[in-house]
Amino acid sequence: MSNRVVNVLAAASVAGLMFALFGMSAQSAGAADPAEQVKDRQQTMKKMGGGMGAVAKFVKNEGATAEDAAKGAEAVLAVSKMDPKKIFPEGTAVGVADSAAKPELWKNWDEAQRDWSAVQPAAEKLNAALKSGDRAQIAQALGATSKTCGSCHEDFRVKKN
Amino acid sequence: MRRLLTAASVLLPLAVAGGVARAAGEAPADDAVSDAVRRGAYIFNAAGCLGCHTDEKGGGQPLAGGRALATPFGTFHTPNITPDPVHGIGRWSDADFIRALREGVGPDGAHLFPAFPYASYTRMTDRDLLDLKAYLFSRPAVAAPNKPHDLTPPFSWRFLLPVWQWLYLTPGPVPDDPAKPAAWNRGRYLVDALGHCAECHSPRTLLGGLDSDRYLAGNPDGPDGDKVPGITGAKGKGGIGGWSDGDLTLFLETGLTPDGDVAGGAMGEVVRNTTSKLTADDRAAIAAYLKTVPLKE
Repeated sequence: MSNRVVNVLAAASVAGLMFALFGMSAQSAGAADPAEQVKDRQQTMKKMGGGMGAVAKFVKNEGATAEDAAKGAEAVLAVSKMDPKKIFPEGTAVGVADSAAKPELWKNWDEAQRDWSAVQPAAEKLNAALKSGDRAQIAQALGATSKTCGSCHEDFRVKKN
Repeated sequence: MRRLLTAASVLLPLAVAGGVARAAGEAPADDAVSDAVRRGAYIFNAAGCLGCHTDEKGGGQPLAGGRALATPFGTFHTPNITPDPVHGIGRWSDADFIRALREGVGPDGAHLFPAFPYASYTRMTDRDLLDLKAYLFSRPAVAAPNKPHDLTPPFSWRFLLPVWQWLYLTPGPVPDDPAKPAAWNRGRYLVDALGHCAECHSPRTLLGGLDSDRYLAGNPDGPDGDKVPGITGAKGKGGIGGWSDGDLTLFLETGLTPDGDVAGGAMGEVVRNTTSKLTADDRAAIAAYLKTVPLKE
């Protein structure tokens, strides 16, 4: 084969490969099922809620151990580090499956993103409080973390039934 | 607050003044401030005045009104309750103030729409009303004119309001029940008079009155079309009887529910503006009272 033919073939295969890769990734993004995304979000929020609930049980002295609470706080922190764009992809507002996210969330994305990024520092303090073992400090940090959750729920979540 | 079905349409006077504000709801630290103002700051939070009378979303000044409350009867625009003499309530006498909150009648004799929850505030004691007034009058005046309501007839017909009041308003405080513990009586006062919980948590009749047979039993058609849960002492649907005292007080303090969710919507606002600012004793009193409220079927 002449060099020219090799070059053309190589170029064609690279282009083909790139096209295939791009096409696949575009397809996988486009094909993500919004109903699945809503379900994923609910799982994520449940994980966070489970964590908050465990810390709350410990604070209320209702059965959770310090270890349960520490694990809970870690779960809250882990979720708070997630990219809000991945949790709230466009096209998953109320109307899609049983989504409870108001369309306003995307219309006011900057505000929603600010709300979301306020959770992480609060969750870090909650973790620090649990390490200190001081119940009053834990309760205070739990309240502060709830507040960051609430600011988003207040503006961007429709009422659940 | 968003949770109210309606808002007062006091036909207020009009004019100008200005002011830079401390955050509303904070008791001024100044020692010279009278005890009445300090007590009034607490009443102000417990009665949840700030939410409805501030257009937070629209960047309005605290208590300058202008918040739109969408209801099945039309849209109310809350009035300015700053001490501005023209646009606010700055010219109201003590008697005017008591009459408005207890009887639903403005200083000019106009009957007020029950979006303003005077059917609840009517139970406030004279002292709490006057402390509240002292606090409001310590706030900066804002020269923001009131917006007219946008109501659907016949609900816009103010001349019908005396009929409504005759049906649904029982003026005056309710005496404490001596057979019940002090905390229960305090809880009832916080729930019924100040917190006006029933305004959202009880269903309404076709005429917009609170359905007393379904007191705190939940409202399928609440503000902003939301379903509002029942908060009677019943276990299961229509009540919070299944919650521990700790669940209830932590919820009122932080908005956190037993399953780890955090209240949003109208109740999120109530927690933020009102219940998180109460004393722990008052939150416990609310819990103690609610647990005794029967769910009538």
